Amino acid sequence: MFDLLILGFSEIFQLRILIIIFLGVIVGVLAGLIPGFTVAMAIVLTLPLTFGMDPIAGVAAMIGVFVGGMSGGLISAALLGIPGTPSSIATTFDAYPMAKNGEPGKALSIGIWASFLSSIISLFLLVSIAPQIARFALMFGPWEMFSLIIASLTIIASVTGKSIIKGLIAGLFGLLIATVGADPISGISRFSFDLRALRAGIPFLIVLIGMFAISRLLVLLEQKELTKDSAEKQKDKLESVKFVLQPLKTLRIVLSKPGNLIGASTIGSIIGAIPGAGGSIANIVAYDQAKKWSKKPEKFGTGCEEGVIASEAGNNSTVGGDLIPTVALGIPGSAVTAVLLSALMVHGISPGPLLIVNEPNIVGGIFFAFFVASFWMLITQFFGIRYFMKVTLVPTHVLVPIILFLCVVGTFVLNNRLTDLYILLIMGIIGYLFTKYDFALAPAIIGVILGPIAEVNLRRAFMSDPDWTLFLTRPISLTFLILAALSIAFTIWQTKKSNARTKMIN
Amino acid sequence: MGEILIGIVIIILCIIIYFQSGDFPYFNEVHLNAGSFPKLIAILLAFLSLILVISKVKELLSKRAELEKVDVKVYVKKLIKEYKLVFFTLFSLLGYIFLMQYIGFIVTTILFIIVTGYVIGPKSKKDLLIISLVSVIITFSVYAFFQNVLHVRFPTGVLF
Repeated sequence: MFDLLILGFSEIFQLRILIIIFLGVIVGVLAGLIPGFTVAMAIVLTLPLTFGMDPIAGVAAMIGVFVGGMSGGLISAALLGIPGTPSSIATTFDAYPMAKNGEPGKALSIGIWASFLSSIISLFLLVSIAPQIARFALMFGPWEMFSLIIASLTIIASVTGKSIIKGLIAGLFGLLIATVGADPISGISRFSFDLRALRAGIPFLIVLIGMFAISRLLVLLEQKELTKDSAEKQKDKLESVKFVLQPLKTLRIVLSKPGNLIGASTIGSIIGAIPGAGGSIANIVAYDQAKKWSKKPEKFGTGCEEGVIASEAGNNSTVGGDLIPTVALGIPGSAVTAVLLSALMVHGISPGPLLIVNEPNIVGGIFFAFFVASFWMLITQFFGIRYFMKVTLVPTHVLVPIILFLCVVGTFVLNNRLTDLYILLIMGIIGYLFTKYDFALAPAIIGVILGPIAEVNLRRAFMSDPDWTLFLTRPISLTFLILAALSIAFTIWQTKKSNARTKMIN
Repeated sequence: MGEILIGIVIIILCIIIYFQSGDFPYFNEVHLNAGSFPKLIAILLAFLSLILVISKVKELLSKRAELEKVDVKVYVKKLIKEYKLVFFTLFSLLGYIFLMQYIGFIVTTILFIIVTGYVIGPKSKKDLLIISLVSVIITFSVYAFFQNVLHVRFPTGVLF
């Protein structure tokens, strides 16, 4: 079971790669810290920088960003009560009151330890579970793979966003975008409408940069007054906060509540493994559950230690959970792991159940990079937290044009094509309209990356046997399809229920 | 309102895709050819969008009384005020992309960052100085990194 980890050790434990992960963690922490700048954005923008590296170094850098980003939200959540990323919403419930009660150092260091220890727990789960799932998935034929993709897309559509129909529309739209360009089996050019820009298809990464980075920046601009206000508020607050971190004392506090820590980490890992559900959901659910299990639930919300542990353990452990389907099945559960997979594809490595068998050093590298990144995260947070705080002062009007420029560079570097930049602009506009009208972006992104795989498997299935009922008679395939149907039905039922409730209140 | 427009646009897109999918050359694929999967997606997507459009139109009709009270001019003014910077940034981004191939990467990038940053941010001389410095430093460091480490060749245009 741990041979992969040992293999990864030999791949990762080189000074160069360790430094790369370190830099990745710092970038991630900064991205998590700056309100309006998301982890997905940071990881998308680091990708072009990794093109020159070998695949393991590139993936390691991105894991660093991922781990750092998940813990970066802690700082602004604890000290300002403003979540830097959606993943740290529940952190504000207890860490902020604790900081206000005069213990900001304690709140931060408990959060850092909880992030670190939960990462290690989720790594353990990842290392032990992922190879089993991959081995099981080796039995999948094209029928199962197709149904699995359908199931993950519907689950993503129902978990993210407010309306299932909009989520499904976004997912199908993603699948449709993916059909532009060369047909994956016969190579015929499709839907290029005689435009040179479209003949090579719409590259996944450009969709991602446009939808996740550019559209986010546009949203930032419209609420400018609002963000300017909060930025000014942060200024006087952050500079006045003085605190002492007590690493050893707080480690004892965290370790004295093993049930709390392990429970929250397990919840986080499981939620992370569900496609579409990530840190933003896990951190609230873990907090909620910790409250339910606690002997003193009334203390939650007033700055209690358990609350900080649960919320931070919940969001950081999603990293390990999220990597389970990514590594074992080649199905990314979030935009971040989607970038990770596409980074592998850029290097000519095809993700899927065979990844562990064919590229054990890459998988081991991912596992061990996660381990190293968690350590770096611990160290950088404890030593660098004072400097990180200054970064929230970067004003929006400097941040926005620079990130836009980095998006343009990232897109251009991908294929050295100027026409891709127009696609980027259009994708940015589509992404912006989608966010404006509450269409979730995650299903669209995952749709684009899974689209070609779904199509290839569907057609392979029909090539080997034209009988379409096989999708329903093969038990594993049927299970996935039932899962898909259930997730839709459950969401519809839930929306109806909550609608009825709001009507009752009105 | 926006949802209805998005829905209609998507439906039109689906129809185009559907009818484009018919005329791909066949090889020896008996059951599914290059057009089958896109067709399937287009049908499903159009169906769901239709449901969305219908439900939103219903919603709109039930709110018609409220809508008639809204003054269009005031509404548009408010809209422009709220989204002024979004539109501006989109246009400057388009200009940046378009001009890059003619004027060259370095010059357009520096201009883009300064102009966008200046319009979005406060209009003092100090801020202009800061954003100019930042833009020059960032542009040259990114350029140097990609040119030397990754051997990417950026468009040069007439100047550099």
